[in-house]
Amino acid sequence: MDSALVDDTLAAFILSGLSIQVAACRDDGRTTLVRGAGARLSADRRQLTVLVPASQSASLLQSLAANGRIAVLFNEPESHRSVQLKGRDAVIGTVSDADRAALPAYVATLTRRLQHYRIPEAFCRALFSVAPDDLAAVTFTPGEAYGQTPGPHAGEPLRHGEADERGDSHR
Amino acid sequence: MNRLINLDILRNCLEGIVPAGVATCGADGMPNVTYVSQIMYVDPDHVALSYQFFNKTRENILFNPRASVLLMDPNSAARYRLELRYLRTETDGALFERMKAKLAGIASHEGMVGVFRLRGTDIYRVLDIEHLPGRELPAELPARTLLPALRRCSDALGVCETLDSLCDSLLDSVIGHFDVAQAMLLFADEAAASLFVVASRGYPQAGTGAEIPFGVGVIGVAARERVPIRIMYAAAEYAYTRAVREQLLEGGLESELDQRIPLPGLGSPASQLAIPLVGGGRLLAVLYLESRQECRFGYDIEDALVALCAQASQAMALMQMQEDRAPERVPATAAAPVPAGQTLRVEHYPRDHSLLVDGDYLIKGVAGAILWTLLNDFRDQGRTEFSNRELRRDPRIGLPEVGDNLEARLILLIRRLDERRLPIRLEKPVQGRIRLRVGRPLMLQTREAS
Repeated sequence: MDSALVDDTLAAFILSGLSIQVAACRDDGRTTLVRGAGARLSADRRQLTVLVPASQSASLLQSLAANGRIAVLFNEPESHRSVQLKGRDAVIGTVSDADRAALPAYVATLTRRLQHYRIPEAFCRALFSVAPDDLAAVTFTPGEAYGQTPGPHAGEPLRHGEADERGDSHR
Repeated sequence: MNRLINLDILRNCLEGIVPAGVATCGADGMPNVTYVSQIMYVDPDHVALSYQFFNKTRENILFNPRASVLLMDPNSAARYRLELRYLRTETDGALFERMKAKLAGIASHEGMVGVFRLRGTDIYRVLDIEHLPGRELPAELPARTLLPALRRCSDALGVCETLDSLCDSLLDSVIGHFDVAQAMLLFADEAAASLFVVASRGYPQAGTGAEIPFGVGVIGVAARERVPIRIMYAAAEYAYTRAVREQLLEGGLESELDQRIPLPGLGSPASQLAIPLVGGGRLLAVLYLESRQECRFGYDIEDALVALCAQASQAMALMQMQEDRAPERVPATAAAPVPAGQTLRVEHYPRDHSLLVDGDYLIKGVAGAILWTLLNDFRDQGRTEFSNRELRRDPRIGLPEVGDNLEARLILLIRRLDERRLPIRLEKPVQGRIRLRVGRPLMLQTREAS
């Protein structure tokens, strides 16, 4: 039986070159947030790694080192479909050559998605680009998944086999 | 707080259509991140976030008020992280209406009409702003320099001696110096809870006298709330032609659709900006600009025009006082002869002082009551010269003795009569005086409301 929270449908969605935001909290309740620069899943889909620009993530990495609690939001800009995954065991991982090599394709995909809103390409490339040597990797076990597509059902737990399609009916 | 960066210079970051992420922390210490449809500038120390659904973000901030928001500059892609503390939620009033209107534009742009219903505006204090490292595009030269434009407009207003010329100067200078193609000025009639177009630029028809009820569309909401309303994208529910029509239909007033003066205005403007003119504590008028171009009116042009409108409002209030101080006695003149020609039929509906001339709607409200009074005195006594002060005290018109912007109503009336090219005209021979010219015999009839 497949007990990984992230099933095939969800895996395909979160790895499809989406806009990513990564959040953490300090133990005193202060929050922090940074834009992600890509994601990958372990073969058994139990471990999710998100890449972040280290230079923008000092407070994020500190918080994760202290308590491991993480929330990651994936959003498909042109459809607004959004999913949030949360975990309690985030650790700072290792950035692989494959992670660095995947960066240009990630930026290109997201840039193409934003053409839907006629947002200039140069702007998108500046916004999403991260220097390869500035990447940091954060790995965790997704324990909770929520649909975040805007609408009255945003924030409800995702059911298996769902990548928050529900929002479509509310648009 | 980083004093080198402040919210005033980051206001453009609040205009983007890429929604901002907001992170909060729950009672169990778990972070939560989601999108917020809109972040609005309140003042240098506060922002407002739209509250549309009771969700995890809301649950979290009610327990722990700390939140983080990521912003980006829509031109340079510079990223800023704001640390916020939640203070309170407002569910009506000026800020709420501003956000509601703005959100309608965003919703319609993003295909989210019906999903984006504003429940409240959450007010947050900005505790810190962090400029994040990362690639940025070079800053572009501003497309328009607003301060020189404002100064030129202000100079033009400064030489106006009459309310009449002030109205034209305000529109002409905004069109000329702020590179705007469509604009109109509407006078407020608080008793009728409506605004009436007194002048417009950039439309096939001037639409003088066309009415917008308080609360309808961007102009009506700006009037009711006395707050500037700005929309960056086409928002169907704030487009005038449709908004006014729907309100009449809802009120069972279909019959009024035919007898209304058509509103000037773009069918589906991509950007809208309405600024109330308030003087002496009263709403005097609303200046309205629109454009076929998205994101045409930003925070800065709003600020510039609010400053200009403040000057115009002061001038309007002052001109009203001067008119009221003009001599009351009107020199006796011989009764005007009865004009020759075909009889002109003027009908008066006392319910709202609507006037119809030969069956065609002319005007209503206080302006209608004024003209009806003048026409009766002309018919009964042959009078053609009247003073502002006697009109103000005339119980048939029912104006308050002070405070009402009588001069504005007279200008509206004069312009409406001129536009219709009727053989009834009004002019202002000297300050505080009004002269009636009637070119045909009159038949005056009072009608009861049907």
